[in-house]
Amino acid sequence: MNDSSEDSKRNGASPPVFPPSWFDEEAYLLTHEDVAAGVACGAIHSGYEHYVTQGWLENRSVVFSRQAPHDQLYRWGVVEKDQPLPGAQGAKFRCNIELAVASGGGGLFVSGWIDDLESPLDTIRIVNSNWMFIFSVSDLVRVRRADVEKELGASHQHSYGFFGFCNTGDPLVVESVGCSFNIQRQDGSAEQTNVNIGRIGDVELRDLVLNYFAQAGFYGNRQVEAIRACGSGFGAQIAGFNRDVSRRLVRGAYTRNFGGTRPLRGSLMVCLYGKAEFVFLQNALFSGRPGFQDYEIIWVSNSPDLSERLLAEIEIAHSVYGVPQTAVLLPGNAGFGAANNAAASFAHSDRVIAINPDVFPKDLAWARKHTDLVDGLPAEQTRLFGAPLYYDDGSLMHGGMYFEFDTGVSLKADSVEDCRLVRVEHYGKGAPAASQRFTRPRPVPAVTGAFISCDRAWYEKLGGFSEDYIFGNYEDADLCLKSLQQGTPSWLHDLRLWHLEGKGSTRLPAHEGGWLVNRWLFADRWAKEIDHGLLGPNPTRLPGAGGEAVPSSSEDTAGTGN
Amino acid sequence: MRVLLIGVFHPEIVRGGAQQVCYELFEALQATPGIEPTLLAAIDPSCESLYKSGARITGFDGRPNEFLYLSREYDYWWHKSGNRLLHESFVEFLQLVQPEVVHFHHFMLLGLDLLTLTRRTLPNVRIVFTLHEFLGICAADGHMLRRNDRSLCRHASQVRCSQCFPGRRPEEFFMREMWVKRHFEAVDVFTTPSRFMIEHYVDWGLERDRIVHVTNGQRDYTGGHRLPASRGRHNRFGFFGQLVDDKGVWVLIEAVRQLRSEGFTDFVVEINGGNLQYASEARRAEIEAFQKEEEALPFEERRVFFLGSYAVDQLRQRMGRVDWCVVPSVWYETFALVISEAWMFGRPVIGSDVGAMAERIHHDKDGLLFGVGDSRALAETIRRACTEKGLWERLSGGIQAPPPREAMLEGMLDVYRDSASVQPGSTAVSSAVRPRSHRPRTAAMPEEAK
Repeated sequence: MNDSSEDSKRNGASPPVFPPSWFDEEAYLLTHEDVAAGVACGAIHSGYEHYVTQGWLENRSVVFSRQAPHDQLYRWGVVEKDQPLPGAQGAKFRCNIELAVASGGGGLFVSGWIDDLESPLDTIRIVNSNWMFIFSVSDLVRVRRADVEKELGASHQHSYGFFGFCNTGDPLVVESVGCSFNIQRQDGSAEQTNVNIGRIGDVELRDLVLNYFAQAGFYGNRQVEAIRACGSGFGAQIAGFNRDVSRRLVRGAYTRNFGGTRPLRGSLMVCLYGKAEFVFLQNALFSGRPGFQDYEIIWVSNSPDLSERLLAEIEIAHSVYGVPQTAVLLPGNAGFGAANNAAASFAHSDRVIAINPDVFPKDLAWARKHTDLVDGLPAEQTRLFGAPLYYDDGSLMHGGMYFEFDTGVSLKADSVEDCRLVRVEHYGKGAPAASQRFTRPRPVPAVTGAFISCDRAWYEKLGGFSEDYIFGNYEDADLCLKSLQQGTPSWLHDLRLWHLEGKGSTRLPAHEGGWLVNRWLFADRWAKEIDHGLLGPNPTRLPGAGGEAVPSSSEDTAGTGN
Repeated sequence: MRVLLIGVFHPEIVRGGAQQVCYELFEALQATPGIEPTLLAAIDPSCESLYKSGARITGFDGRPNEFLYLSREYDYWWHKSGNRLLHESFVEFLQLVQPEVVHFHHFMLLGLDLLTLTRRTLPNVRIVFTLHEFLGICAADGHMLRRNDRSLCRHASQVRCSQCFPGRRPEEFFMREMWVKRHFEAVDVFTTPSRFMIEHYVDWGLERDRIVHVTNGQRDYTGGHRLPASRGRHNRFGFFGQLVDDKGVWVLIEAVRQLRSEGFTDFVVEINGGNLQYASEARRAEIEAFQKEEEALPFEERRVFFLGSYAVDQLRQRMGRVDWCVVPSVWYETFALVISEAWMFGRPVIGSDVGAMAERIHHDKDGLLFGVGDSRALAETIRRACTEKGLWERLSGGIQAPPPREAMLEGMLDVYRDSASVQPGSTAVSSAVRPRSHRPRTAAMPEEAK
């Protein structure tokens, strides 16, 4: 395919969204040797991922498994490319249901398009012999579809596409004979079509929805519009569904302990995704250092495909380094929050330390110092604290986090509106290593989840990390704000660690979708609180957080947070 | 004293300098009263026929005290095995042998973590590590030869290393350095066969007082008979080694082209060695094309002859065919055994002016040096060697006997015994007392414990 057609396809056509179980991975890798080579060396996560992000743009050939419903592939346009878009010419209006998928846990996803320029879409009624479900217009996210615009010869900017997701909470019995879809516009006109609803697993459905969302087109600022779309109800539905999925995954955890259960001074909780080498790297670089004999490592894996290797590596590491450790293997990606909460339940100490797999000691005596801090400082300064993290080049990566607002504009049909989004910023990013302003002990609005040390009882009182965020963003700031809300601000103490950011895991398209939802959720939950004296690098509620000198009269406020 | 030698490959399975030296030492230790040596040589799955079902460590060819470590699931980037049964078998082997000294000659195919595991299994054992190249410092085959511009590298850093591996980020090299240094902490004494290597490792962060120079030594391959001096013109040159890029045979070929273009053809070059298949595609094509052109010439016009690989017992015959031995390596080398082999037979060496060649060859006294990688300089040196009257006799007469196996043995025994005669950072000859018990080392890591 030449560049121009690829570009037009990238900008126009709907993204290929279907569950991995419909995709013949083996056939794809056999057919495309370059992709197979990329998968073999780890540059590409899977053939499926390659196809949905890149391969479809290149018109790569693909084989679908038997369980893929042919009619949906046709509607979506995979099977017969270059055919006119479905939607009967003689109907009252043209529309199409392209994808309808349900999962055993009660998730239901529908996507398609409708010519509703004259009269807006009102409802989509799905009728099965066992159940009925109605998506009202407020439940649906409208998306830009350049391919539909071209097909209809549209001259107006109008979002013809739509998708909806609902966490029904009940297992949906899906019959092979299909469901009746009644698509009604506000003027009362309606079209009816029968669609077989595909049945896939909960994790697969979550990832499919997020993948679709990440690649959906919008008029205006794509990120702003996508985050606003979450507020329509989609965000709450997918976040709730993800929470339910995560909890089911945690209930299915497999655990194995290596090295006994004696009481310890600290429990490192390391959430692994996509890479196993951090098991032996962290074991090697943490073990044998002053004070670390009183610590353990709890590995919690969000990558079921790594389970066998992780167990082998943990067993080897235990024999080589002698660090007590526990493996908690989850049957799917439960996300950072749920995984850490699961890990905390296996801790053999009263101090839980969430730490990224790509964090290593810079100060080799950090563990001894950590223990001394916890023993020696007032409890309110150590209930929840972080540490300065450093880049491999020696400069400061950050010394605490603060909040700013981004203000974007959202385009409505008849207006332009403000959209405020919270942005998490880092103190001292790229500063010289010895920037005491940013490394000195002080209360800060939040600390990064790459290293959070928390009193276990306090962690449990706060409910641990929120499990509402998808995969992993904002849980750290959320935990810190919960702590502040309950009277204890986060602190930063000068324990120095390397953070080789970006080397910890592989980022997939669905992660991008999750990040958009998380950004909406965090703003929805905390924007008002942040507006109340927590905004900017020098928040009025935490004098001295930005590193400037603190007036003596304000010292009493440090540690209360209110 | 029970000494366990651990190395990569057995020289009778895969040839190479590190395994040859390790085996020479093993043989020497066997002949030393009061020493009980055991050899454990790692092999890889390419030696499939030697892999016995269910075994991780086996004997070798019915020889007492020689064992093979059947490496599996080896990660060549991190240098470790992912096979936990191998680790179990290694621990069991250590417990059975109960060595007082464990002398590693490599970590390839074994894993860096076996150093730490050895310390954990036998806390009071003396761990010695002979550095046969710079693999701890340099991920590019341990040669410190930059892949982006083929220049010699004097120091490693995460950014410089990532320039040699465009697909990898600096952070990966930062982690690699921490990982290697962490396991090097388990070692009591490092030995290097050349002195210059000490500076490379000290610059990298290894403490000078943990490194001792102990020369490589070989048995005498001449059988006590020195080759007769060649008479008349001394215009026959020999290359001995693998035909891989870093050994620099291509520099020699370019020098031949240069001399031909100048009309100077009164010389012969014999190429002894194989493994051209391991050369880069470009170099292989270049060498193959040259060989084809050369073989198409009338015999009297041919100047270069490719004689193929050779065994140690063929050295006498091959060395007898030449007057000079050319060592045009474009990396540092760490000892260049071929120099010793040439000297055994009284052949002066023409070598690159870096690393082990520069350290061992005394220019204009027992050999000649030329600018590394500089084919024009080599051509001029060859012309001089062919034409300067009395040069060969003078240089040949200046050759000292290469270090014998006994010199290596004595040096290593001093290191094993933690002898007062071992002076860290120098050759194992003079006095300095070393701590006998193992102390954890952290000085090489990025930041000191405070």
